[in-house]
Amino acid sequence: MLLQLNNIFKWVQSGGQRIFLLKDINLEVKEGEFISIMGPSGSGKSTLLNVIGMLDTFDEGEYHFLEDSVHNLKEKHRSNLYKEYIGFVFQSYHLLDDLTVQENLEMPLIYKKFKGSERKAMVADMLDRFNIVGKKDLFPAQLSGGQQQLVGIARALISNPKLILADEPTGNLNSKQGEEIMDLFKQLNDEGVTIIQVTHSEKNAEYGSRIINLLDGRMI
Amino acid sequence: MVVIYIKAAWRSILKNKLFSFINVLGLSIGICSAMVIGAIVYFDFSFDTFHKDKDKIYRVTTVFESNGNQFSNRGVAVPIMRTFQEGMPGVELAAPFMSANFFKVENKLQDLTFKNIENSILADNNYFELFEYDWLAGDSRSALSNPAQVVLSENKAQRYFPHTPVSDVVGKTLIYNDSISVKVSGVVADFKQNSDFKFTEFMSLSSAKMFGAKDIVTNDQWNGTSSGDQLFFKVKDEASVTLVESRLKELAKEHKNKAEWAANDERNFILQPLTNLHFGGPYGEYPFNNSNHVASIKVLKSLGFVALFLLLLGCANFINLNSAQALTRAKEIGIRKTLGSSKKQVVRQFLLETFILTCIAAILSLVLAPLLLRQFIDFLPADINLSILYSLKGALGILVLIVLVSFLSGFYPAFVLSGFRPVSVLKGQFSKGDKGVRLRKTLTVFQFVVAQVFVIATLLVTKQLHYVMNKDMGLKTNATAYISTPWNNSTDVQKERLFNAVKNIQELSNVSWGGNPPASNNYSTSMLTYFKEDAEMHQQTQMLWGDVNYLNTYKIPLLSGRQMLNDSVKEYIVNEAFAKEVGFQNTADVVGTFVKMDTLKIPIVGLMRDFHQHSLRSDIGPMAITGDWPDDDYPMFNKIHFDLGENSENWTNSVKQIEQAWASVYPDEEVQVQFMDEIVEGFYRTERSTVQLLTWATGLSILISCMGLLGLVVYTTEKRVKEIGVRKVLGANLAQLNMELSKEFLILIGIAFLISVPISWYLIQEWIQNFAYKTALSWWVFLTSGIGMVLVALAVIGTRTYRTANINPVESLRAE
Ligand SMILES: Nc1ncnc2c1ncn2[C@@H]1O[C@H](COP(=O)(O)OP(=O)(O)OP(=O)(O)O)[C@@H](O)[C@H]1O
Ligand SMILES: [Mg+2]
Repeated sequence: MLLQLNNIFKWVQSGGQRIFLLKDINLEVKEGEFISIMGPSGSGKSTLLNVIGMLDTFDEGEYHFLEDSVHNLKEKHRSNLYKEYIGFVFQSYHLLDDLTVQENLEMPLIYKKFKGSERKAMVADMLDRFNIVGKKDLFPAQLSGGQQQLVGIARALISNPKLILADEPTGNLNSKQGEEIMDLFKQLNDEGVTIIQVTHSEKNAEYGSRIINLLDGRMI
Repeated sequence: MVVIYIKAAWRSILKNKLFSFINVLGLSIGICSAMVIGAIVYFDFSFDTFHKDKDKIYRVTTVFESNGNQFSNRGVAVPIMRTFQEGMPGVELAAPFMSANFFKVENKLQDLTFKNIENSILADNNYFELFEYDWLAGDSRSALSNPAQVVLSENKAQRYFPHTPVSDVVGKTLIYNDSISVKVSGVVADFKQNSDFKFTEFMSLSSAKMFGAKDIVTNDQWNGTSSGDQLFFKVKDEASVTLVESRLKELAKEHKNKAEWAANDERNFILQPLTNLHFGGPYGEYPFNNSNHVASIKVLKSLGFVALFLLLLGCANFINLNSAQALTRAKEIGIRKTLGSSKKQVVRQFLLETFILTCIAAILSLVLAPLLLRQFIDFLPADINLSILYSLKGALGILVLIVLVSFLSGFYPAFVLSGFRPVSVLKGQFSKGDKGVRLRKTLTVFQFVVAQVFVIATLLVTKQLHYVMNKDMGLKTNATAYISTPWNNSTDVQKERLFNAVKNIQELSNVSWGGNPPASNNYSTSMLTYFKEDAEMHQQTQMLWGDVNYLNTYKIPLLSGRQMLNDSVKEYIVNEAFAKEVGFQNTADVVGTFVKMDTLKIPIVGLMRDFHQHSLRSDIGPMAITGDWPDDDYPMFNKIHFDLGENSENWTNSVKQIEQAWASVYPDEEVQVQFMDEIVEGFYRTERSTVQLLTWATGLSILISCMGLLGLVVYTTEKRVKEIGVRKVLGANLAQLNMELSKEFLILIGIAFLISVPISWYLIQEWIQNFAYKTALSWWVFLTSGIGMVLVALAVIGTRTYRTANINPVESLRAE
């Protein structure tokens, strides 16, 4: 078992009322699964992914990640998990504005304490794989939305995470690029990487082994 | 991996140019002041640190106590030198020496004559055993064994014997004071390191008699103390110090002044460690008679505080701006954390960024430091420089400073930043939890308190300076001046000729003979014995000597009685303070009474109005003036006093004529006209340097604080752009918007003002205690400085709020 959510509730307080963002979520993810989360806009997909990724907290329920109880995790332990296990692909890319494409890709490797020569090789490999070698010295602001998304994905994959959390990873890509990314995910999944992706596209969802549908914060 | 951090840091510095600029400038002002002040402090602490066994070397000084007053003298009575020479338990080596006054040295061989011989002493071989010099020629053990031997420093030797190798100088003959021929027995290198031992000419002590100086072998004046008579010695070990001290106590007792008037006086011999010589505080301001640099721990301390505060202001700026900016950087932190960065790594990254900025500031400081130093050159010793900053020691010091400053200013912002939770950041929710606001407000208040205290202090110190410089001294200081006749080699005939020549100069009036001017830094006091109701009363009295015109020259009026009958009659004129001190309710009644001197009864014939004899730091004390009737043939009239007239345009011409008159009498000497108002100005040299220092500190602290304020205003207005847009659409006018934006800052400055008033009041209150005459600490000074600060702040805030308030609302609202 990689992770397990039991009766997770998340809400915000607004004018004395609780607005539920997540309601009674129960989810088990085994290693090697490829899960797609779907649902209309505002249904809580990103929120759920953030909770799974331990970026966000929840108000009620239990969450175990690799036998660790997440609500008890220390920040330090959490940053170790990010480093060792998890690669994030954000809906809005979240690249580091002050770093070039190449340096953005290098960052997770630095945190993982790879040697300089190894880093260079891995970054070069990734640039090549995503066909962005020519962009390596540009800053995020100099890239198109699609290109930024590619860099975001490349950065998530570069440190060989065991779990990839991707929030609409292909939202800004053309269909051919999107397909390539999905093929890549599939391939990684076959190699044993667990993937949880949020998507609006039925077609992309089909790549996964399981689909979770959300509506108003509830699984249906 | 450090490289990539540095790169990112550098880019983020470039991206926020204004903030980076403010940060760097603020820090560099602080660092620059710390460097300059550090160099000054180091300079003063580097004196005489190189002597062998320096911790075992002491000087014997003399401290007098009389009627509760304490005064001290860095010299000793001559016979005590003999006591030390004959052997003292615990003393390993004693080296007495005396300052020497040679008026002429001639090198007949090369036909050279030298006058104004400076830095010369009478010393013996022990001196050179106690203080190790580098001997370029001659033998340290025997060079001063016999009379008529002299050791020269390398520089002096080169002056006396130009183009002669030092080895040849030894054995040559010099003629002193026209007739005494002396052999050069050695040449030593001048000390390379900072030292108060600036002596360059060492005559053997055994020559004392030849020069009419005090002779240690025969002198028995236990009650005469001259600051030129120096006694240094080395103790055998730590424990011997108390042994020597107790023996000195006995000696003081044995040789107490038996005179009746001295019954209540005490005299003690106090040891001063060599390591303390440079900061000789209680033993006289200057370490030696020939020293020209005063070092005061108190001054160094205040300098240190100024540096510290300027540094803190720079750091406060940094903390302020960076924790404000943190919000805009929060997203970056969030991302880094999801990429696996630990909190520690985030902290490290930001400290590195701070470190880089601080390094830039330090480099800038190194460039600015000489400029800043030049501002203070007036009251710094001439040989001070910043070379220490470029030495290994200095580089280490600077590095420590940089690291310290980086930590101080980078730690808090780094912590705030690293504490952000990724999701709140990534979702853009951070504007709510703006925790640093309290801290930033506190820091801003702190900055303005410091700036405001400096402002108020500067104004009040200036006010006091103005007060003391312009207060009526009770004597004519404007246009009055004097010249001193040469102290040696000057016959009565010559003096008379000079006097007549000066008197004949048309523009001068009230030309008179006298001793010191009525107000000066000199203290010549005599113990006058006054008869009162058959009992004798001893009154310590400041003495003046002048002819019958003297008082008139300085427009000091007689309140009662008459002038002295002539210039040498044995009569006194006393001041009101004297009359009061000896007990006259009606001061005029003192006229007609008598002062006893030995067997003589000397009448008090007049009462002069009180005037200030010294700076306004001290009160007016009892004083008497009398004519020239010396008891030991030593002429008391050696200065010609005169009035240059009201028309100052004529002064240069008059001075020229005085110089001509002088040249006709003393062709070999130079004349210097001393103006009374310059002497008065000289009383307040320290105060003037304080004002200068304070003015700088004030300017810099205002600059730093205002830049910090500007940074905060920029940040706040940018955050409120949208709100301002909305308000504008709702109909707010420019003035209202400006007020709205400025309000929170003005409140902070108001609070700072309220805090700074009692602090500055207290500090100035302490400082002004130095003066017997004080200016009022008027409330309007405080108020003015407060209003001034508000205006300055408003100007700073205004540049920004005005722009913000003027932004077209459509633009600001569309931005979302
Ligand atoms: N801090 C918050 N306070 C109030 N409501 C919030 C907060 N965060 C998210 N929400 C609400 O929770 C709901 C779910 O948001 P979420 O971002 O998870 O949707 P989503 O399913 O990812 O939508 P999309 O497909 O548009 O990305 C939304 O209605 C959003 O308004
Ligand atoms: Mg979403």
